[in-house]
Order: sequence, then structure tokens, then C-alpha cells
Amino acid sequence: MRYTRRSTLALLAGMAITPLAAVAQQDYPTRPITLVVPYGAGGTTDISARQMATMAEKILGQPIVVENQPGASGTNAMRSVASAEPDGYTLIATTSSPSFVTPALRDVGYDTLADFIPILNYSGPFHGVVVPADSPYDTLDALIEGAKSGAVTYGTAGAMGGAHLAFASVAKDTGTMLQHVPFDGASKATAAVLGGHVDAALVPAYRDLVQDGQLRLLGVLDGTNDPDFPDAPTLKEAGLAAEFPSIVGIMAPAGTDPAIIAKLESAFTEVASSDGFKTFMTDLSQPVRIMSGENLAATIEENFAAYREIAKDLGN
Amino acid sequence: MLVDAFLELLNLWVLVAALVGIVSGIIIGAIPGLGPTMAIALLIPVTFSMQPIPAIILLLGVYQGAIFGGSISAVLLNVPGTPSSAATAIDGFAMARRGEGGRALRFALYASVVGNIFSCLVLMALAEPLARFALDFGPAEMAMLMLFALLVIVLFGGGSKLDALIMVLVGACAGIVGLDPISGTPRFTFGSFAFENGFQLIPVLIGLFAMSEVLLQAFDRETLVGDVEVPPLKSFVVRFVELWRMRMTLFLSSLIGTFVGILPGIGSTVPAFMSYSLARSRSADPDAFGRGAPEGVAAPEAANNAVTGGALVPTLALGIPGDAVTAVILGAFMLHGLAPGPFLFRDHGLEVYAIFEALLLSSIPTVILGLLFFRVAIHVTRIQPRHLLPAITILAIFGAFSVNNSLFDVWVMLGAGVLGFLLRRANFPLPPLLIGLILGAPFEQSLRQALLTSGGGYGIFVGSPITIGLVALTVLSLAISLFFSLRKPRL
Repeated sequence: MRYTRRSTLALLAGMAITPLAAVAQQDYPTRPITLVVPYGAGGTTDISARQMATMAEKILGQPIVVENQPGASGTNAMRSVASAEPDGYTLIATTSSPSFVTPALRDVGYDTLADFIPILNYSGPFHGVVVPADSPYDTLDALIEGAKSGAVTYGTAGAMGGAHLAFASVAKDTGTMLQHVPFDGASKATAAVLGGHVDAALVPAYRDLVQDGQLRLLGVLDGTNDPDFPDAPTLKEAGLAAEFPSIVGIMAPAGTDPAIIAKLESAFTEVASSDGFKTFMTDLSQPVRIMSGENLAATIEENFAAYREIAKDLGN
Repeated sequence: MLVDAFLELLNLWVLVAALVGIVSGIIIGAIPGLGPTMAIALLIPVTFSMQPIPAIILLLGVYQGAIFGGSISAVLLNVPGTPSSAATAIDGFAMARRGEGGRALRFALYASVVGNIFSCLVLMALAEPLARFALDFGPAEMAMLMLFALLVIVLFGGGSKLDALIMVLVGACAGIVGLDPISGTPRFTFGSFAFENGFQLIPVLIGLFAMSEVLLQAFDRETLVGDVEVPPLKSFVVRFVELWRMRMTLFLSSLIGTFVGILPGIGSTVPAFMSYSLARSRSADPDAFGRGAPEGVAAPEAANNAVTGGALVPTLALGIPGDAVTAVILGAFMLHGLAPGPFLFRDHGLEVYAIFEALLLSSIPTVILGLLFFRVAIHVTRIQPRHLLPAITILAIFGAFSVNNSLFDVWVMLGAGVLGFLLRRANFPLPPLLIGLILGAPFEQSLRQALLTSGGGYGIFVGSPITIGLVALTVLSLAISLFFSLRKPRL
């Protein structure tokens, strides 16, 4: 016992004489880290971030406290983290919508590319184009063809979301009558397409309903195929010039020390690629999709520009 | 199957999980601002290391306990702990002021249990067919249903119909603030980011009911000068005959709660008020409502507890949660390897039926724990208001902040408090305002969604058997109300 105390004192003394800047880099983290989640507690983003935090704590040696700041589709939390001290003690686990969709539409009080440093991407649910089992449309082509002769309605999780904008640009490119019907959350859009109240829906979490034969999956909005349904084409494979890549990643405020970013990236990447995390995410029906901070930044930049164009076309 | 499932429950951990869940649910529900959603979300990590069945039973115990717990503070303090217990407060608090708080709590408890059991049985017997039926409710059907609900609450809720209508419209107008549900553009946000989220229900609820109560009493000279006379505590006894006499009310309220619970997105507050209004309109003595009628406590409690079983129907059978609470429960099921959806009953029938049976059986500990809890809680009515009000104020501020960790919500709560204070001084009823806020935005969204799918044609609102039925009910209730008001002699 005495031995531990003595060594602790020695460590403290050692810390006191080390230059401050070096301490910040080498000994980081020395106090608990806050990981902000821009959605309510209990959602998939929240649950996966909490698991990420619990597993990364062991590597970083400091507690990671998850703080929920829901509201305004995630932009409230992004704004507050953008203005937080860039010391590596305030991070955000964020998604596509507040990263590159909403900022492309209107002033949100932050600029994702300038105000944040992406650390890594670790998940991102696939969004599918689904129709009811008895729908006349068998393929994406047939759906687009159908929208040439009359209005085809499609539901999404909300107005001006990534899925809506992707299809709005498809409608414009193909000159078809794809009528958007926004719902209050993806689950209500799924209910509407199951009940046949809309002709199609662009929603995540479709796996079981498709496997059960209640819905038919025509394609995915992501840049890559859903491993559960390798035959469902991406929009690009179906010849449509649009995509909605789904990201779930961790970012730090701009100005954070590169050494700290590197430390966090290696810790979080280790967690994300572990078997324990993969099993956890499978139970949650969420994919694990690892992307480096650099690649995540590039994805955000590319899509931000694309969405800005779509938004301009829509008159925003 | 049912027996095998029951054997799964014969485990000490199941009992411990149920007790912990119910007790924490009741306590969290009784604190204004802390609702079931937050309670469940916070307890999910606690259940990580548990077996699936006890874990889910714990979380569902919290859900049921919290809905019931909200009515304790509603009855004793006139401060609804959850939005759905605002209806219970009307007659419950009136009874408490007569010294019958204990009786009011018991009526609430027994009615809750009836509602729970009813909706649980429905869930066990008919989950899959009912989930199919719920899918028939598209935007047009939802719009007509909400219109009907608003009308029932305005026409039969008691008091002046004009006052109620004005309050509904004020609430609906407050719901316009925020992002337009169809085009996504900001409305009435005055360029402020904080307004984009609109007025959140919980801060408004706490302000309207809890904060306004504080202000009302603070401006009452009697409360501040010397001791207020507290009513002596009367007998607690609720006899079985009294419940038997209101069997139709309990049945209809449970039915409304279960049915509305199955439909996505309406929640438990609206069915609570619908049941209250229906019980009042069916009563031989409607004037007793609002002055401490036991039926006015039982009806909303049966309904808002019945919502729990109903809301689990689409959540479990289709994997489609209707509201925030069931979305959190859905996540909990997934984490424990019981992914809700079409395969849940096929792959995990045993676990699911064990959970349903536990939900049914949890009525027993709920009654026992409820009765024990009342013995302590009832003494709250004997605390002098000047000692109680500061505590309520602190809880109100804390509760409003905790919803989104946002200071803006605290300001909304204080603003709603002042508004509620003024409206109560002017004798306007507050419940219709709450209902207007809850239903205003979804009604607008459903209406506009329906028109988008129909290409602008109004025919969609009478285009299916369900909409025709709802329109007929709406016209019928208008006609009944008109008939009675014409028959009544003018004064």
C-alpha cells in the first residue's frame, strides 16, 4: 500500500517538472473524456456509442462519459461540440445527417469540414429502397419507369434528409414524378410502405421484413452493397447518379493536437475491429464499417458538395 | 408452450428483476420530467450482463411502473409526473383535497392493473393480426382519428366547450414553431437555432402543471401567511363493489388505451383524456367529474396503462416502434438477442411468452408495492405548501433541463409556467392546451402526407372503410353534442 502511494507521489512530482505541452500529448488522457451523442438515449447511435466508450475506456485508461444532446436532427450537439475546447476531452459520435446533409441545406452554425477533425467511421446502417411484396415494381428500373407515366410516392424518415435528397436528384435526372412523403422517423415510413400507403420507402432496418417476404428490396442508397443482400444493386449500379452513404463516426473539434487524434484513432480502431464489438453490433442489427479519419473527411467533403448541388436545385 | 414459458419464470433473478424494475419505475415516474423513456435508456447498460428474460422483465417493469408512478404526484400534488397522468390529476387532486388522497391512489392503482392485464391479454392473443390491422392506418386514417380525438376532448371533456376549443387551438399554434414537417424549413424560429426543435412536450407539461401550481400558491396570501389547514386523512378503503360498478368504464378505457397504443405515434396522453371524456359523457352524474369523481381517476389510469401492451404490439410483431419509449425497448430486445420483427415469435416464442406472462403476473407485486408506497406518499398532503413549493420548483427546473440537456428547455418551462398561471387564474382549462400541443403537429403532418399521396384530392379522407367509420363517428359526436345543448333549457 505504502509502496503504491510512494510511486504515485513520485509520478506526480515527475509530472510537475515535465513541460506542460508534452504532458498534454503523452499523458493524454488524464481526466474523463466526454463523448456527445446527438440523439436521445436508447437509440442505435447511442447504444453503439456507449459500447464503443465502454470498450475504449480500457485502452485509454480514463472513463468515457456519454452525454446525450438530442434535438434539431443532431445539429444542436454538433454546434456545441464545435465550440468546445479542442483538448481531446470533448468528442462527438455523429452521423450523416448533421455532418453533410443538414449543413448543405441551411446555416446550422458550424462548418463540418472546418470545425471538426474526423477520427474514424465505425458503422452506418444501410438504407434500402423497399416496396410492398405485392408491388408491381420488381427492380429500380421498373420503379423509375413507373414514375414516368404517373406519380410514384416514396416515404422517408423526414423532410430534407439524405434519403429524400438522393431520390430528389434521381427524380430530376430522370425527369420522373417521384413524389416524396416525409414521415416522422424511419419506422413510421416502414409502417406506411407495409400498409401500402406509399408505393416505396427509403429506410434502414429492413432485413427481417424483406427476408420474411413482407417487403421487396430493390436497391440500396449506399455506395457499397449490403452484405446481407449482395444482389440488391446500389443506385450507381442501377445507372442512377446518386448515393446516400451512411456514416457513424467519431469527431473532435478542430484544433485538437494531432498526437491526441492519433492516439484516439488507434484506440477506437482497435475497439471497432475487435470481435467483441462486432458481435455486439450484430445483435443490434448494425454493420461495422471501419474507415480512417482521413477517408471519413474525404467522404464528408465529397458528399457535402454533392448535397449542396441537390439543395440548390431544390431551391434552398 | 405457456407452461414451458411459465417454468422459465421460476427463477429468483426474474423476481428480483421485476421488483427492481417496478420500484425504480414508480419512483422515476413520480418525479416530474423523468419519464419512462429516460428511465429505460439509463437502465439498459445495467442489464447488459443479465440473462435476456430477467433483463427485459426489468425494463418492462420500469415502463409499467413509470406510467403508474406519474399518477402519484398527479393525485397528491396536482403535478403530473408524466404527460399521461395529467388527466388523472383533474379528479385525483380534487379527491386528495377532500382528504381522500389514499382512496384516489387506490382507484388509480386498481384501474392501472386492470388496464395492464387487459392489454397484456390482447398482446398475447392477437399481436400479429392486430399489428396487420395497425398497418391499415395510413396518413388519412391517422388524420381522421386525431380529428375525432380532438373533438371528443373538446365536446365531452367538461367545462365550457368554447374555452376548451380556444385552448386546443393555442396548443396547436404552439406546435407550429420549429421545422416544417413536410418541407423542412424553419417556421417562427426568429432565426434562433434553439427554436428549431420546437416546444418540447415535457418542459411545457412541467411548466403548465407544476410551475403554474407553484406560482398560483405563491400568489395566494393564505399559503404564505401561517399554516394552511390540511384536510384530515379519511378512510382509504376501496370496496370491490365500487370497482364493479365502474366495470364498463374500465373496460372501455382499457379498450381505447390498447387500440390507440397499437397505432404509431399518438402516445398515452390522448387516450387518457379520451377515456376521461367518454366516462364523463356516459356518467349519470357528469357534473361530479372535475370535483373528485373516482371514475374520473379510474378511466384515464386504465387507459394510459393499457397503452403499454398496445404499443408493444407493432414493436414486437413488426419491429416498428410507435414512440420513443418503445423505440428504446426495441433496442433493448435486440441487445439481448431477441430481435423484434416477423421472426421474433417463431425464433424466440418461449422467451416472448415468458415475458408476456411476467407482464401479467407483475400486477401482483405492483399492487403490493403500490399499497406499501402509498402509506408513505400520502403524508405529502400534510406538508405545508411553503415547505413543498421550493422542492417542486427545483424538481421542475431539473426535469426540464434533463430532457435534452438544454437550458433553452428550462426557459420554455418557465414561460409555460407563467402562461399556465395566467390561464388558470382566468379559469381556462389546461388539458386541452396540452392535447393541442401533442396532436397539432402530427395532425398537420398526417393531413399533408395524405394529400401528397392522393395528389391533392380530398377524396382520400373518405376513401377507406376506416376513414368513413371515423368520419361517421365524428359527425355523430357533433350531432349528439348539438342535440343535448339544444334540448337543455337556456338560462
